[in-house]
Amino acid sequence: MQMRSHGFPCFVVEIIMAASEALRNQVAAKWQDSFNRLNRTGVGISGLMEFSKAWAVAAEFLRPRDLGAPPKDFNTHEIRSAFDVLMQCRMLPMLLESFVACLDMSICQRICGRNQHLITDDVTRFMTEYDASGDPDVIGRLVLRLADWYFAWAPGGELGQTISSAYIVNFQTHVFSVLPAAFAAGFKRLLAATLALFTEGATPGVPASVQDSRLWPSFELLGLADRYESLIASVCYEHIETHVLETCAGKWDEPMLSRLREWMAEKVVPWMLLPYARGAKTAEEARTMLQGVGSRFDFHVCKTLCDLRTKEMFDIVIDYPDSTHALHDLKECLQRVDQRTQLVRALRKSNKKRLLHPGADTKDILTQYVSLIRCLRVIDPPGVLLFKVADPIRRYLRDRPDTIRCIVASLVVDGESGDSLVDDDEPIQPLQSAQVDDYTDPNWEPEPIDAGPDFRANKPSDVVSTLVSIYDSKDLFVKELQVLLAQRLLAVTDGNYEKERRNLEILKIRFGEAPLQVCEVMLKDMTDSKRIDQHVQSQSSSVMHPTIISRHFWPKFQSSKIQMPGQLHEIQEAYAREFMTFKPDKKLRWLSHLGSIRLEIELQDRTVGADVPPLEAAFIELFSEQDVWTLNDLIARVGTVERSAALKALLAWVDRGVLREETEDVDMQRFRLLERVPEDAGAGPVGITTAGSRTALAEEEPAVLTVQQQQAEQMKVYWKFIEGMLTNLGGLPIDRIQTMLKFAQGYDRTVDQLGAFMDAARREGLVSVKDGIWRLNR
Amino acid sequence: MKITVKRWHAIAQWQWDTGKTDDNGDAEEDVCGICRIPFEGCCPTCKVPGDDCPLIWGECSHVFHMHCLLKWIGTAASKQQCPMDRRPWGETIAHLSVHTPRNLDRISISSDRREKGRRE
Ligand SMILES: [Zn+2]
Ligand SMILES: [Zn+2]
Ligand SMILES: [Zn+2]
Repeated sequence: MQMRSHGFPCFVVEIIMAASEALRNQVAAKWQDSFNRLNRTGVGISGLMEFSKAWAVAAEFLRPRDLGAPPKDFNTHEIRSAFDVLMQCRMLPMLLESFVACLDMSICQRICGRNQHLITDDVTRFMTEYDASGDPDVIGRLVLRLADWYFAWAPGGELGQTISSAYIVNFQTHVFSVLPAAFAAGFKRLLAATLALFTEGATPGVPASVQDSRLWPSFELLGLADRYESLIASVCYEHIETHVLETCAGKWDEPMLSRLREWMAEKVVPWMLLPYARGAKTAEEARTMLQGVGSRFDFHVCKTLCDLRTKEMFDIVIDYPDSTHALHDLKECLQRVDQRTQLVRALRKSNKKRLLHPGADTKDILTQYVSLIRCLRVIDPPGVLLFKVADPIRRYLRDRPDTIRCIVASLVVDGESGDSLVDDDEPIQPLQSAQVDDYTDPNWEPEPIDAGPDFRANKPSDVVSTLVSIYDSKDLFVKELQVLLAQRLLAVTDGNYEKERRNLEILKIRFGEAPLQVCEVMLKDMTDSKRIDQHVQSQSSSVMHPTIISRHFWPKFQSSKIQMPGQLHEIQEAYAREFMTFKPDKKLRWLSHLGSIRLEIELQDRTVGADVPPLEAAFIELFSEQDVWTLNDLIARVGTVERSAALKALLAWVDRGVLREETEDVDMQRFRLLERVPEDAGAGPVGITTAGSRTALAEEEPAVLTVQQQQAEQMKVYWKFIEGMLTNLGGLPIDRIQTMLKFAQGYDRTVDQLGAFMDAARREGLVSVKDGIWRLNR
Repeated sequence: MKITVKRWHAIAQWQWDTGKTDDNGDAEEDVCGICRIPFEGCCPTCKVPGDDCPLIWGECSHVFHMHCLLKWIGTAASKQQCPMDRRPWGETIAHLSVHTPRNLDRISISSDRREKGRRE
């Protein structure tokens, strides 16, 4: 055996001696192998000696040292050959292990044997400073410092790939192990500062380290870019969010999405090259590397804007059409980010909270609804979103008593009020009703996938049709139109009905000729009245110019039967006589409580002129009989009139300073004519009044019963039926009541109308409702 | 005090003068015995009431929409009788005579109307 000649340490020999022969042989073989490896072909142990020297040289070369220490003077050739020897001995891995062990100690504890604080101390020092200041610059400087350490200890690249990569892995591992948890937060702020440098430019506040060109290469060296990849992404996400909120919130009148994309391309992408296109050699390569992440960030831009616009949607609708750009942006975002459900939910929620409550005017609800129709048409032309959002609004409007009146009012061109629901540029067209799919239509498209089963793609599309379709039938609209037209026609005093004629023509296009036939008759009555009046005036001139109506073609009027006294009665009689001469087969029946009368009242010291409702004229006429009247006597003279209405009429004269109230006790209200302005009269309204200074007509209740009032009247007939069935059957749901009422003769109400009636009955305390079951109150 | 009425915008309803003196317009209305529509409405074939759809007075004192009666008389089943009392139909000249000749004009054009009504 050769081994003894090589002078093995005693313990080895002992072990070998103690072992069995087989083991002995095995160990001996291994030993021989090692020896051969180290000694190579050297004579004797000369190879082994050479190896020892090479090991020492290499180890010393690799030994980590303090940054401040003077550089060691190495002979490159000597080192190269030392590494060569180690390589031949296949001992490089061993050397590396030893190096790593030493490195470990240097970083984490003290540099081998010497009492110097190295990386750990640096890290601690920088982090303490950062904790105190929160300045990301500190983190930046720490990173640069760590890079210095890295370079100081890095084995030269000429030593081969294995050593370098082993060094990198070990250096990074050990650096990470000494970095405290707080480093991640600081590093995030540092990253944010680097991004801000790109998006906002080099403002004075930008930390020096952030502008240091070595910073990103240092991240790379230290493996920070890989280790904190998700942190880098979240810095970018957060930056995008902040930027979108800062620039786009409330900015609806400009296209913001394209602007955001420009911003991304100009400001953010150059920054993205740093973390995401590391090592790219060409622009083409960089582009490829950025593709995936760029698409993720673009998605985030869309999502953030989409979230923002969804949140703002209610106000965007209010601002329409000024907010058109916001709608186009949202449309584009929704094509990228599927958040249609969220949009529907958000809109329904804000509509419920801000719109569909008792405090909102029906007019405002309608205006917002119409705006909503237009907005959602921009975002989603097939109308699925509108269908889903509008449903609660439509149901709510259906239950409001004045919805039809508001819609109808907006259909009538006023010339003055510019807040019509219907745009002037919207073509006037016949009402469209929902139809079944027309598969022969070349433009037919299948319904969108998120359309519910109730959705009909060819819902009426123009605004008026959409509004009218809130109700099952358009009859109610026609009735309401009739009421509105009646009010407007009766208010015309200058004989000019052209505006109303034009309105009617437009309405006929929408609703059809037949339903509006009664309105035709109303207009004809107006022109006939004018002609008749011209004839009557030519025969015997009169101050009276009546509108003579065909009663069955006008809405019902407030019923009131007042008798005009004195000369007023004579004027009526004279006119009626003249009319009968002209139209012998007809006679006139005066609706004395309607219309208006212009009076001039000459008193002893003044003249008062006024346009007054007939009741006021009747009362003052009575004062020409005697100076003092009690309220009761006055009422008795004119016939049936509400006490409150009578009092109101008299107080109008008191306001004009023509009458004075002389009341000793409440039951005996008396009024006295003031022939002269009393001495004690202060700066009140008594005095010379100019004609028409006060038009009481404006305050007068509308003479024409609203459709609602008319229906309530008719509905009362059915109350007996309802009372009977609720008495016999206890509580009933509205649908049952409706079904049973259909057995009653002439009952033609919709369930909505019945609901409104029942609600009115509830307010009067006749019935109560709980869980949809109506009961009589007892 | 002296009150002068300068101008009066009044509202009135017209009514056929059927000879009845009740001035209570809201009471039970007079309807045409044939179509059951009020006289002041118009017959089922007309759209405009009043002079365009006048009344006709029978010798038997029954009153109808003229168009309704002419249509009735035009059917074989009518046997030229008043549909209410089955007496031979005759138009009261007496009633017309108190009126101006214009009513006669109207009667004379009524056959044209009847033709027109049939075509429709
Ligand atoms: Zn008739
Ligand atoms: Zn007729
Ligand atoms: Zn008869």
